[in-house]
Amino acid sequence: MSDAYDDLAPVPPPKLSGKALGIGLAVVLPLLALLAFGFGRDPHVMDKPLVGKEAPSFSLPRLADGQQVQLADLTGKPMVLNFWATWCVPCAQEHPNLVEAARRWGNDVQFVGIVYQDKNEAVEAWLDRHGGRAYPTLIDVNAKAAIAYGVYGVPETYFVGADGVIVDKHVGPIPWPVLQDQVAKLRGES
Amino acid sequence: MLTNAFLGRGLILLSIALAAAGAIVGYWGGRRRTEAAHQWTKSLAYSFGFSLVLANVVMIKALLEHDFSVKYVAQVGSLATPVHITIVSLWSSLEGSILFWGAVLGLFTIAFVWRVADKHRDMAPYTIATILTIGVFFGFLLAGPANPFLDTPLPVPKDGPGPNPLLQNHILMIVHPPMLYLGYVGMTIPFAMGVAALLRGRLGAGWMRPIRTWMLIPWGFLTAGIVLGGWWAYEVLGWGGYWAWDPVENASFLPWLTASAFLHAAMLQERRGILKGWTLMLLLTTFCLTILGTFMTRSGVFNSVHSFTQSPIGPAFLVFLGIAMVVSIVLVALRMHLLTPEGEVRSPVSREAAFVMNNMLFVFFTLLVLVGTVFPLLAEAVRDVKISVGEPYFNRLGVPIAISIVFMMGIGPALPWGRASKEELSRLLGPPIIAGLLVTGFAAALGVRQFLPAVTMFVSGFAAAVSLRDMVEPVAVRFRRGGVSWLGALADAYQRGRRRYGGQIVHLGVAMMAVGIALSSSYKIVTEGVIDKGQSLSVGEYTLRFEGVREETLPHRRATIAQMTVMDQSGAVLGNLEPRMNHYRGQMNPIGTPAVRSTLFEDLYLSVMTVDPGGAYVGMRAFVNPMIYWIWIAAGIMVLGCLIAGWPARAESRAPATAPGEGVPA
Repeated sequence: MSDAYDDLAPVPPPKLSGKALGIGLAVVLPLLALLAFGFGRDPHVMDKPLVGKEAPSFSLPRLADGQQVQLADLTGKPMVLNFWATWCVPCAQEHPNLVEAARRWGNDVQFVGIVYQDKNEAVEAWLDRHGGRAYPTLIDVNAKAAIAYGVYGVPETYFVGADGVIVDKHVGPIPWPVLQDQVAKLRGES
Repeated sequence: MLTNAFLGRGLILLSIALAAAGAIVGYWGGRRRTEAAHQWTKSLAYSFGFSLVLANVVMIKALLEHDFSVKYVAQVGSLATPVHITIVSLWSSLEGSILFWGAVLGLFTIAFVWRVADKHRDMAPYTIATILTIGVFFGFLLAGPANPFLDTPLPVPKDGPGPNPLLQNHILMIVHPPMLYLGYVGMTIPFAMGVAALLRGRLGAGWMRPIRTWMLIPWGFLTAGIVLGGWWAYEVLGWGGYWAWDPVENASFLPWLTASAFLHAAMLQERRGILKGWTLMLLLTTFCLTILGTFMTRSGVFNSVHSFTQSPIGPAFLVFLGIAMVVSIVLVALRMHLLTPEGEVRSPVSREAAFVMNNMLFVFFTLLVLVGTVFPLLAEAVRDVKISVGEPYFNRLGVPIAISIVFMMGIGPALPWGRASKEELSRLLGPPIIAGLLVTGFAAALGVRQFLPAVTMFVSGFAAAVSLRDMVEPVAVRFRRGGVSWLGALADAYQRGRRRYGGQIVHLGVAMMAVGIALSSSYKIVTEGVIDKGQSLSVGEYTLRFEGVREETLPHRRATIAQMTVMDQSGAVLGNLEPRMNHYRGQMNPIGTPAVRSTLFEDLYLSVMTVDPGGAYVGMRAFVNPMIYWIWIAAGIMVLGCLIAGWPARAESRAPATAPGEGVPA
C-alpha cells in the first residue's frame, strides 16, 4: 500500500455504527458528568459537620488483647482520637508528635489511635518500629468508626471534650504547635 | 511601547490565528489534496510552532530581567533566586506551565512537519490540521484564563516571592517536568495521526508504522518523566518512598499504560491485520488520558500534593476533554465498517494470543487505576461522603496485574507467530523457565522468601532470559553460518532487527525495575528516634551518630543541617550524611531534605523530623531501602531501548523486526 501524494483514491463514505457510538458514549458521558460534578467542590476544604456535636459512639476491639472498647469507657477525660494506618505516609510523620503529647499530657487527656483499613500484624510491626505504644490502639473493623466520624482519609485527628462533644478536628498530619494548642484547649476546658 | 508583556500577548494571539488558519487549510487540503494546500498547511504549522517557542523565549527573558511588570514574573520571580531556578520557574506555576506546554507542542509540530509531512502527503494535512486545532485550544487558554503575560496591577513590585520552594530543592525538579511535558504533549502527534487515518478512511499498516514511531517518542519521555518524578519525590520529600498512588502520579501512569498497550497492539496490526479498531481506540484513549491527567492536576477537583490551586482553566479543560472524547468516538463509529480484521488469532499458544492477553492486562490495569482515582468523586456524587482510596487498594489489585504483565512480557516474544507445537513449546519456554527458577532460588538463598517478591523474581528472571535469548540467538545463527566475526554477526543482526533489539532492551529494563520495586518495597527497614548530640541510633546494619548541627544561609533560604556519621557494625566510619531542614524566604513551614547514601544494592536514607536549633538533639527517621538504585538504572535502560527502537532509520534497516530464525536468509 502506498502513501504517495498522488494516491487520489476517494475518501470512502462514512457509515455510522450505532453500536460503537452507543457503547463509546455510554462509557464516556458518565465519566464527563462525574468530572463536571467535581467542580464547585474544593477537595481541600473539609467540612466539619460533627464539630459541636456529640462524638459518635463506637465499640471496637483493642489491638493489645482484642477486648471490645466502647467510647463510653474512655470518656470522663478529654480525648484525642487519631485515625491512622500503617500504609499512610504522613501518619508516620505525625506519630512522634502524638507519642510525645501522650507522654506529656496523657494524665489529663486520653489519647486513642484508631487504625483504618489495615491488618493487625502490620499494625503490631509498625508500632514496634515506631515505638508507639504510649496509648491504646483500636482496630476499626470494616471502617465503622471512620464512617461514623466521616473520616475522609488518614490521618485525621478529632478533639473531644470531657463532655463527649467534638471540639475540633484536624485533617492531615498534625504539626506539633497545632497539637499543643488543641491539647491546651482541651485541658483548659476540663 | 514594546514591553515583554505586550510582545508575549501578541505572539500568543498570532499563534491562535496561525493555528486556526492552518487547521482550516489542512482539513480542506486533506480532502482536496492539492500541492498548494499542502505547502500552506506546512508553512502555517511551522509559523505556529515558532510563534509559541518565541513566546516562551520572551517569558524567559522577562524572568531573567526580573521584569515584575509581567504578572507571572511578579508571581514566581524573585531577585534572590539563582539564575537556573529562575529559568525553571517558567513551568513552576499554572500559567507558565501552560505556556511551556505551548512551546513543547510547537516543537513537536515543527518536528512532525519536518520529518513526516512530505513523506506521507496523503495523511499530513489532516494530521497537521488536527494538531493545530488542539493548538487553537491551548492558544485560547494562554490568551484567556491562563494568560501569563498580563500586566501586573500598579504599582509594580520591586521584588517577588520566588517559585514554590519544593521546586528549588533539587536538580531533578529541573528535569522531571519537561520530560513529563514532552511525554504528555507528544501524545498529541500520534493522536492527530490516528484522527487523520479515520478522516481519510485509510487505516493500513503503511501509516501505522510512523504512528508507532511517533508514539514511541512521547512514551520514552513519559517513562523518563514518571520515574524522574518518583526519584525526585524520593530524594526530596523525605518519606523514604517514590510512589504513593497519588491522583497526579496516577494521571501520568494512565496514558503510559494505554500507550504501552498501543505499542504492542500496533505490532499485531502491522503483522497480522487484527485488532484494528482496538489499536485505534488505544491511540485515541491515550491522548484523552493525557488531557484527563492535565485536568486532574489543573482543575483542583482532585485532592493531591501536586494540585495547583483551584484555577479557572478547569472547566475549559473539561470541555476540551469532552470534545476530544466524543469526536474520537464518533469518528471510530463512522469508520467501524473499515476496521474489520484481515486475519485472526488461530491458536491460544501463539505470539498474537500473548499480545492480546498483554493488551487485556494493560487495559485492565488502566481501568483499575482510573476507578481508584475517580472513586472518591463517585462516592461523593452518589452518597455524599468524602472518602479516599488508599494504597492498599492499588497495591492489592495492581501488583498481581503488574506481575502478570511481566510474565506475558516473557511469553509473548518466546512464542512464534501462528501456532506453537508441543515440542516447540518446551524448547522455547523450557530454558527461560529454568532461568526464572534459578533467579528465584538465588534470591531465596539471599533471603527473598515472601510469596509476591519470590514470584516477581521468577517472572523477571523468565522474561529477562527470553529477552536475552532473543537478542543473542540471531547473532549466534549468523556466526554459525560462518564468514563473519562475532562482532560482524552482532552488527548485522542489530542492523536488521533494530526495532526488536530496542524492544528487548526495554523489556530487560522492565524486568530489572520489577525486581527493584518488589525488593525495595518488601524488604525495607525503618527506624526512628530522637538522638541526643554525640549519641547513636542503629538501623539495619548501620549505626548513625549525631555530631551536631550547622547552619547554612543562602539569599533565598536558610538550612539547619544535621551532621550524621555513618558507621558499620564494627564501628568503622563509612561516611557522613547531612539531612537538613530548609526554611525558605516567605514560606511558613520548613521543608526537610533527606540525605541518601546509595550503593548498588541498598540505600541508607535519613530524614530529619525535628531538629533543635541549638543542636542538642535531632528527631530522625532512618530507612534502609534495598535495590532502589536498580529502579533508576532500569528506567535508563528502558529509555535507551526506546531510543534504539525509535531512532530515525536508515533505509536498509527498515525491514520488519524478525523473529528468531525466521528472517535469516538461507
